[in-house]
Amino acid sequence: VKKRSRVLGTLVVLSLFAAACGDDDDDGDAEPEVTGATAAPGDTESTATTAAGGGTPTDGAEISIALGSEPTSLDPHLVDDGGERAINDNVYETLLTRTPEGELQPGLATDLPTQVDDTTWEFTLRDGVTFHDGTPFTAEAVVASVERMRGFIEAGTTDNDGFFSSLTGAEAVDDRTVRIMTAEADGVLPARMYWLKIVAPDAVGVDDLSDAPNGTGPYTFVSREVGSQIVLEANADYWDGAPSVGKVTYEFVSEGGTRLAGLVSGKYDLITNLPPQDVDQAPASDAIQGQEHPMIILDADEGITADPNVRLALNLAIDKDAIAEQVYGGYATPDAGQILSASILGFNEDLSAFPYDPDQAKQLIEDAGVAGQTITLVGESSGRWLNDRELVEAIASYWSQAGLEVDLQSPEFGAYLDVLFDRDNREDAIFVSSSNDLLDPDRQLSTYYQAGGIGASNSDEELSGLIDQGRAELDPDARETIYNDAVQIAYDQAYFAFLAANQDLYGTSERLDWTPRVDSKLLVKEMSVTG
Amino acid sequence: MGRYIARRLLQGLVVIMGVTVFVFVITRLVGDPVKFMLPLSATQEERAARRAELGLDESIPRQFVEFVGDLLRFDLGESTYVRGESSLSVVFDYLPRTLQLVALGMSIAVVLSIPLGVIASRRPGGRTDRVLTTLSLIGLSMPQFFLGYILLIGFTVKLHWFESGPGPWYKNLILPAVCLALPAIGRLAMVVRSSMIDELNTQYVRVARAKGLSQRRILGVHALRNAGIPYVTLLGWELIRALAGYTVVVESVFNWPGLGFMAKTAIQNQDLYLIQAIVFVVAVIVVVLNIAIDVSYKLLDPRVKLS
Repeated sequence: VKKRSRVLGTLVVLSLFAAACGDDDDDGDAEPEVTGATAAPGDTESTATTAAGGGTPTDGAEISIALGSEPTSLDPHLVDDGGERAINDNVYETLLTRTPEGELQPGLATDLPTQVDDTTWEFTLRDGVTFHDGTPFTAEAVVASVERMRGFIEAGTTDNDGFFSSLTGAEAVDDRTVRIMTAEADGVLPARMYWLKIVAPDAVGVDDLSDAPNGTGPYTFVSREVGSQIVLEANADYWDGAPSVGKVTYEFVSEGGTRLAGLVSGKYDLITNLPPQDVDQAPASDAIQGQEHPMIILDADEGITADPNVRLALNLAIDKDAIAEQVYGGYATPDAGQILSASILGFNEDLSAFPYDPDQAKQLIEDAGVAGQTITLVGESSGRWLNDRELVEAIASYWSQAGLEVDLQSPEFGAYLDVLFDRDNREDAIFVSSSNDLLDPDRQLSTYYQAGGIGASNSDEELSGLIDQGRAELDPDARETIYNDAVQIAYDQAYFAFLAANQDLYGTSERLDWTPRVDSKLLVKEMSVTG
Repeated sequence: MGRYIARRLLQGLVVIMGVTVFVFVITRLVGDPVKFMLPLSATQEERAARRAELGLDESIPRQFVEFVGDLLRFDLGESTYVRGESSLSVVFDYLPRTLQLVALGMSIAVVLSIPLGVIASRRPGGRTDRVLTTLSLIGLSMPQFFLGYILLIGFTVKLHWFESGPGPWYKNLILPAVCLALPAIGRLAMVVRSSMIDELNTQYVRVARAKGLSQRRILGVHALRNAGIPYVTLLGWELIRALAGYTVVVESVFNWPGLGFMAKTAIQNQDLYLIQAIVFVVAVIVVVLNIAIDVSYKLLDPRVKLS
């Protein structure tokens, strides 16, 4: 017995040791390789994975995708949730879609809408489209979708009221023509129609469509096991031709390390939110400049940040290039003095990032008479955004180098939100990562630029007026000019400390052929598999 | 025994009510699910409207009265995270996976801890004993989040023997179960060892030896059975700690979608209703388990009086 137990003990120790330190040479095939397809840091455009050398795609292949969180619902109208969109973007469609670069283009509509008058838009609908259950797609479905959303907004049950509260109704002119009405002139409407998923007419009055997703999209719902997985399969009758990938399984993996482990082991073909530090471990990766813009909101009304020169100094004090390199491993681009991505209407091409000039920053702080005073900087500690803790720590250190005492606070996410949303007491400097769902400037600017916006810390009436004007302007070119001006004001006033926009990073298997999109949608019909 | 169980159940009911009220107060004081439900860009008005829709704009005493009324109908409210589902049904969606995990983990712990403890007790202070005691100490003092990642890196990433996340038990459940079991094995084996050492030094064992009973019979029938009570006490404690705590860590590390995983998610999203439902169901399980443990004393040792 004694001998056996010693053997047992030795075995346990050995296996633990072997497991922890597993020799790299033993499992060469499992070792992650840095392929030529791995995205190189610093690329601002997407780097497509063509690891398999661009062989012919295998039609009908099965792929597996790991998402960071499980959909909190599968109803396309109820929640604002990345997990839900990742699935439903493949099941449901919208009147308008976007190109991978973000340009609006026809979807279920045959063309961009025309205006009947300032508050009425007319869409012509595609012919020969059917829902997965066989119901033909007609104007009635569009009316039903608008009405369903309006009902939810009235009942206060949808998280999407902010996107659609301007809609007042829809009417079918004939089977192929539909009109959508808004309360006031609404220049954002075409972008909204890129967001409103079209449901079948019988969905009106149904509180929750989670159990029976029925869209017109390239993938049909097969099964869902709560907590575990969702399976979709290719819609052979899809109006734009059956997609290449035959079946897709989604799993929900909140832990980044676990997602990476599944990718490396070959379980997954695509994982989201790959941390830059893990790029070398992934079989292949893709990066694209998406819509995330980390930034610091500066209180322009009170405290030491009320002085524009101090706000300018806070910008000059930060080395944006160093942040892009050190915090984001090179997968980031310094923001050009605005939080709009280049893919968004209103992006001001004349602006560029504030230079890194620590000496001038120090001088400005001294001249303003605030040297040695305390500035409160609020970040968050739950890791909600990529490496956000490292980011705010870096900023705190830049600001103290410029001669300020920095009171850095990093509460957990819930407590942090209380600070961000506190309209009565604005902290000097609040970190946030701003994003853009509709790929339209309105919501992003109303939230952070416009006085009274939930994340705004200024009371600039001219800026506020421009943002209202931009929303009501129907001509895209005129809107562009208005937003260019708005963005210019915020830059001149340094209402924010602009930082570096991190790219969206995806880990992929070597066999997956896919190019990420600026709107971060995971459209399986744009994916294929070789080998 | 029936009356005893009935009385314990009644006491348990008080405990469950106490816990539920406590969680109600805590969550209402600090929690605001609306923050997490709406997009970051939602306006103040949109947020206020949602709060009103959920009834969270009422005073806390008023909310409490409604809460108690709903509770009497076993309605713990709709989850604000898993939308359109009652929080109790979310709990029952996720609970089975936690029960599987705990069942497998504790089975491993029992199957390994008893022989290890018995072997170690054979020659206290001998080499086998020292090796096993050291291993037990390592096992019980290793934090599970650390142990979990070691196991994941070794057996999933490097060796590809197992997978993480949801899946069939032989691929996805063994590793988290081992992670759950290892510290318990250490603690349980230590208890078996020390109780066995105590028992083996008693007079009845010496008498049995003198009578010429086989070692196997002495160990298996007499000593082990008497070592049973401290073992069952600790095993019960392990079960309860696993259900009401350790699974949160283990399920999160291995991405096993059980109730512990959901508890973490519910707290992160300040889903008051789901947190309440989870605490309520776990409290019920703990109360029942405690009663079961006490009753098992009686089965192990008929001399024990339940009172």
